[in-house]
Amino acid sequence: MAQDKIILNYTHRQAGHCESGATSNLFNFYGYDVSEPMAFGIGNGLYFSYIPFLKLQFAPMISFRNFPNTVFHRSMKHLGVDAQVIKSFKTPKESMDALDRNLEKGIPTGCQVGCYNLTFFPPEYRMHYNMHNLVVFGKEDNLYHISDTVMETPQVLTWEDLARVRFAKGAFAPKGKMYWINHINGELNFKPAVKMGIQRTVHDMIKIPFWLIGAKGIHAMARDLKRWPGRYGNEKTSFYLGQILRMAEDFGTGGAGFRYIYGAFLKESGNLFINDELLEAADMMGKTANRWREFTYIGARNCKNRSKPEEDYGMLSDILHEIGNMEEQVYRKLDKIVL
Amino acid sequence: MEQDSNPVYKDERYGKNRELLYKYNPEGNYEKNVGFHEEPERVILQQAWDLFQERIENARQKVLSGKASPLLYYMEKSLADPMNLSMMAGIAFWKVKLHLKPSFFRHMSEKSQKKYAEALNITVEQLKKVE
Repeated sequence: MAQDKIILNYTHRQAGHCESGATSNLFNFYGYDVSEPMAFGIGNGLYFSYIPFLKLQFAPMISFRNFPNTVFHRSMKHLGVDAQVIKSFKTPKESMDALDRNLEKGIPTGCQVGCYNLTFFPPEYRMHYNMHNLVVFGKEDNLYHISDTVMETPQVLTWEDLARVRFAKGAFAPKGKMYWINHINGELNFKPAVKMGIQRTVHDMIKIPFWLIGAKGIHAMARDLKRWPGRYGNEKTSFYLGQILRMAEDFGTGGAGFRYIYGAFLKESGNLFINDELLEAADMMGKTANRWREFTYIGARNCKNRSKPEEDYGMLSDILHEIGNMEEQVYRKLDKIVL
Repeated sequence: MEQDSNPVYKDERYGKNRELLYKYNPEGNYEKNVGFHEEPERVILQQAWDLFQERIENARQKVLSGKASPLLYYMEKSLADPMNLSMMAGIAFWKVKLHLKPSFFRHMSEKSQKKYAEALNITVEQLKKVE
């Protein structure tokens, strides 16, 4: 093992979402300015699924984002960049050696890790959640320099700690997955990439004929929210509602379950291509996101038992139905836009 | 929107980290701010942590009164459920369910003990009793 000191000239920028932040920072390393919302939108990170029969931290599983590694993989594919993903390694040693080789070649490398054993995380983040992403950009003897976009500053981890989080066990185990950009030729062509990204998101959100995914999923959740108090009692309902809000607001969503980031993407691409319809869609998305925020405010009051009598679960359910309709309108609009 | 980092959390280790948050203002612009979470998010987080603490305490009482094995306590302490623990330790789900009972826990093989200890990041001696 080479014991020399390698630290790449990598700029750490804080971001709202871990994976799109990592992707945008990797682009930045190669001298291309791709903002975080742009990476998120092109990589088609927006999603909604509500899976009541799977439980995550003792409450129904709700996801506002796409599967892990989608953002990196699709944004590279849509922009036509030569990138590589290694999905799994057999042993931690093997994966760490591959990481070392990459660093010696001067390639910052992204890794999928589990949150529970990350030593630099504050205690409230350390759940059994295996879809976190970080970028390794340097090493000194036993210490690895880590850029985690949730944190304000770069961090360090020892060899053992990094190997443990890269091989965290449980659902969606990372198995040492790592990814990097090989090289980029010439200018990036944003127009077809944005078009593909939007098309795919529209497909995911309104065209999948399954009632728990996309805008339909929001309506399904709204219907269930009304039934929970009768079925499970008030305490459990309050915890389940808390789970919806936690998935939407906490831990690297940028607020309102990624809706703000997606709106920022629409706004940026609208300004880039001078397209009024995209700007209008960005405005609609922003209003939807603000509505999600209102939902959080009222829901949190409900969780604390401080709500006014008219703010019961029926009203929250109505708000969710309204949000579902608003989102569907945005995607119907995006579907018709010709770029 | 800089505010006090810690008005709601009961444990003062929480809420020290500042995050990047997006906003949509009425003029129609998206803004990025680095700041602390606002009160609603803290309320729901505190709710979850209260629940976890309660579960851990309940598990401890159960173990002390002999209704459950120490494995239950360590499982709750690491915020896992039986499914999670089964994946973490590499032991079948139904076996984990049985090992949560004291009578089956007493006759557990050394191999399983080691697996649990490694998954929960404790020693085998610790696994046999609660503090």
